[in-house]
Amino acid sequence: MALDGLLEGFQVAFSLQGILFVLIGVVTGTLIGMMPGLGPISAIAIMIPVTYGMNPSTALVMMAGVYYGAVFGGSTSSILLNAPGISGTVATSFDGYPMAQRGEAGKALAIAAISSFTGGTISVILLMLFAPALAQVAVSFGPPQYFALMFLGLTAIASLSDGSTIKALISATIGFIVATIGIDAQTGTNRFTFGNPNLMEGIDFLVIALGLFALAEVCFLILNRKDRSLSKQSDIGNLRLTKQDFKEMKGPMSRQSFLGFLLGVLPGAGATIASFIGYITEKRLSKKSDEFGKGSIKGLAAPETANNAATSGAFVPLLSLGIPGSGTTAVMLGAFLVLGIQPGPLLVQDHPDVFWGIIASMYIGNVFLLILNLPLIPYIAKILKISRPLLISLVITFSLIGVYSISFSTFDLYLLLAFGLIGYLMRLFSFPAAPFILAFILGGMMEQAFRQALTASGGSMMVFVKDPISISLFVVSLLSFIVPFIRKGKKEEIEEDEEQQYHAN
Amino acid sequence: MDAGLFSKLDKKVMNVLKTMNQKISVFLILFGAGYLYLTYNLKEYPYVPIDSDFIPRALGFILIGLAVFLFFDKSSETEEEKKKRTVPKKEILVLIAVGVMIFAYIFLFEMLGFLLTTALFVFFCSWFLGYKNWVSNVLVSIIFPSALYYLFNYLLQIRLPQGILPF
Repeated sequence: MALDGLLEGFQVAFSLQGILFVLIGVVTGTLIGMMPGLGPISAIAIMIPVTYGMNPSTALVMMAGVYYGAVFGGSTSSILLNAPGISGTVATSFDGYPMAQRGEAGKALAIAAISSFTGGTISVILLMLFAPALAQVAVSFGPPQYFALMFLGLTAIASLSDGSTIKALISATIGFIVATIGIDAQTGTNRFTFGNPNLMEGIDFLVIALGLFALAEVCFLILNRKDRSLSKQSDIGNLRLTKQDFKEMKGPMSRQSFLGFLLGVLPGAGATIASFIGYITEKRLSKKSDEFGKGSIKGLAAPETANNAATSGAFVPLLSLGIPGSGTTAVMLGAFLVLGIQPGPLLVQDHPDVFWGIIASMYIGNVFLLILNLPLIPYIAKILKISRPLLISLVITFSLIGVYSISFSTFDLYLLLAFGLIGYLMRLFSFPAAPFILAFILGGMMEQAFRQALTASGGSMMVFVKDPISISLFVVSLLSFIVPFIRKGKKEEIEEDEEQQYHAN
Repeated sequence: MDAGLFSKLDKKVMNVLKTMNQKISVFLILFGAGYLYLTYNLKEYPYVPIDSDFIPRALGFILIGLAVFLFFDKSSETEEEKKKRTVPKKEILVLIAVGVMIFAYIFLFEMLGFLLTTALFVFFCSWFLGYKNWVSNVLVSIIFPSALYYLFNYLLQIRLPQGILPF
């Protein structure tokens, strides 16, 4: 069954149109991902208007290309400039940038490309094996189980995101509150629209994604526009790797492909956590751990494999359950919905061309990333020379057109500006934006599932604890919520003890 | 001596931070209260087991609860996070100026049309932010909107405002 489907998918991805759009997606994603500050979320959001009028499977194949292209592009700017485009490639800069400073930028980029390819390809195979099976289980899910699952997604991202847990939860709550604006689907009540007809359909997710991410990032680009590091361009050096280099990369690549995938599947974990955990585990396993941070090959291969593997892993809950596990997959879900495709258990059945097309495009996309990026690295790196003032005005214009072409209303553009300001303030006061967009997307779905479940049960809350699936999902959410608090408390205790000992001495 | 000085400094920083978290938390409590007030004014239907005000009301209470937690949250911010907040006044003015430019862009967007407003915006915004290469600035401000206009209007069939121009 999987093989038949995959063959069908390859037909989509291997058609002339398919190959062309995977190529466009990968290249555009890489270029956008390389711009400091612009990550996969902005890349996907910016590209959505371009897909209008396209065949959904071709459009989504291209979007998948944009996604992992952007993750790869982030590594390039991490290595060349020590300016990670996204948080998922921060760990890449630990060893990649020192290598570039040593004059081995070419080698570092080659290691990144090969590790990304390995991580991406192995995890796509795992995705192909697990997503359909999971979708089969999910078909038996009713509203209570869906509610429990979405609840897990929400609590996990709040507790796993770096920084303050309370701030992440507040961010998620406000995202959910924004999702309640508009006409209520069940009763037709106007909620928080203040009589404004523009708000009746609710706020479009693209307004929020582009405002909170792209425009907020523009504010930081404006503040750092005089940073000279962007125009610094050193010699890339030789791209060739030796046998010894490959030998060193082998271990981290094989281990991190699996670990990264698993972490990607977990809601809330994603590429950032996968890359850091990948880096830390390889450092612990390595006999030469003191080389980490100074340009270690293993230290570069590990996070690069893990973040790409996590990227495919994140597609498992999205494709099979219709539930995004991260901010980026939430925007990706938005892209699906804009194109009229509802991802979820029925996707394999109803749109096998889309489901398998995306998976097949990932195989091809990974190959493209490898063969395109290796010879083109020196030229691609030139994009970093675009002057920041120019880049800033172009990104602003792109965001505005993106929103305008969805609704054709300038009201949404003013809203976009407002969300840009909110996003900037959130970042200024360290409120993470990813839980906001995730709660905004999941919120509407959660409320619907919650009310459907209670309508069916005649208002009895017991419906949520009646069957083992929803109970276990709630237990896992509760654990994922409590454990970080306990860990944090213990850490503080240890720190206090150490401080006391220090003062006693 | 040094250690003492540092711990004093540390305490001072902590106090400032605390008030910052507390200020945000007070704002959030007020916001939550306003939202809750609105939820109590939502229309109710007698025969719906879970009405449209149920979830919003729960969210209002959750937000206020979390804000209270934030008020008493003692966790400190990292140096990097603190540094992010120290923005020079001159730079804030630059941000506001760009904001005003975007506002003007949106205001004129449908009146003057996409091509004209975008060209003007790209040129003046880049120039204002310090892009001094006149020739390439003029070229980009003309070619970029024209290419986008062609792509959207003719290839993607998405109509961008034509405005006062005849095409």
